[in-house]
Amino acid sequence: MTIHFILNGEDVSMNATSADRLVDLLRERFGLHGAQADCRRGTCGKCLVLMDGRLAPSCLLPAFKARGREIVTYEGFAQTDEYADIAAGFAEAGVECCGFCDKGKILAAAAVVERSSRPTKEEILAEMAEVPCRCTDPETLVRGVQAAAERREGRRYRRASQ
Amino acid sequence: MRVSEIHAPSSLAEVLEQRRRLPEAAFYAGGTELLREQAGRFLRLPPEIISLGAVPELRQVALTERFVEIGAAVTLAEILELRENAVPELLAVALRGVATPAIRNLATLGGNLATRSRFMDSWPALACLDALAEFRDASGSHWVNVNRIADAEGLPAPPAGALLSRVRIPLERWDAIAIRKVGLRDYPAAETAVFALAARAEKGILSEFRLAFAGERSLRLREVEARILGRRLPLNAKERRSFSGDYREAASSLPPGLKQQFGTLVDGALDLLSR
Repeated sequence: MTIHFILNGEDVSMNATSADRLVDLLRERFGLHGAQADCRRGTCGKCLVLMDGRLAPSCLLPAFKARGREIVTYEGFAQTDEYADIAAGFAEAGVECCGFCDKGKILAAAAVVERSSRPTKEEILAEMAEVPCRCTDPETLVRGVQAAAERREGRRYRRASQ
Repeated sequence: MRVSEIHAPSSLAEVLEQRRRLPEAAFYAGGTELLREQAGRFLRLPPEIISLGAVPELRQVALTERFVEIGAAVTLAEILELRENAVPELLAVALRGVATPAIRNLATLGGNLATRSRFMDSWPALACLDALAEFRDASGSHWVNVNRIADAEGLPAPPAGALLSRVRIPLERWDAIAIRKVGLRDYPAAETAVFALAARAEKGILSEFRLAFAGERSLRLREVEARILGRRLPLNAKERRSFSGDYREAASSLPPGLKQQFGTLVDGALDLLSR
């Protein structure tokens, strides 16, 4: 079957079978290796993507579920202003993630600040539970996400007042 | 690699028509339960799939003063984002305990409630709330109390072949609620379950007391609840012992770990009513 969807802002289509997972097609057909198929059970956080703005484990998404949806991978997100906010917020708070979890934590942070302009510690830790890697101190991570949210709000305010 | 035929109806009428033509087809909404145990490179799905994601009737939420109706394909995350008081806190607490945020973005209420392999997190809460589930098939619409989704032996028994289309949940005041996930192993497994409690008092008299416990089997003792109702609070020590004994006896067939934790939770609930 042919599946049309939006991938990192571009209309794309791909041939897939019902047995294909989105994570594998992102890697093999589109060369997007930011999402990795590790546990294939939706628990490790390495395959996360944003689907219609929401965090989703692409290993638990059959390819046909992408039809008509907007998928953003880490590579696509890294080109956005929102990514710059998170990178700067993390740097400001001293967040240093390991290679196992960095992409997942950035996308999880993106989902938090997309939903809330002033995310609470509980909201942040709940979303970050998506990426079970313990390389980063939770308090530092909370400060990093809150700093990112502040930067995003500031940028929006400046844009609105221009 | 097994390839399935995917059907993607765009209305409830189309779903029912496809179901009539393909009685063996499986409904697919969030898919999290279906895919949870599949760690291989390729997915193994049933030969015929009816995908429910683009059926607007299954994605609706309707709120009245007395109840909220939630479409079966509404995700758990979307339910948790409904405005304050639109969803009973007992259900919200239960859903917040499901997996992780990303999985709650995929998993649907219908999938969580109508799974045949075991009872998932929403059932004990919805059973305590006396929610109704609407099942549809070629003969029409059938409303079933969520408690009736369990058979006489306490096993999950959603109506065969029918589509769970929406869930109607009464909005009532509760004075005490509790949700506890129990089990020592990864959830879900044989020795895991969810405990739910909802209670209400009027002028010092217990007017509602509902307690449900479910994992691979469900446990709800209506006759014990009926005996507790109408008691003046706090319960005395004799009443407390009697009801605790009834629940512990009913739990004797549970796996040892679950039996012990269930007993502790029941005693905690009765302690609450004894203060």
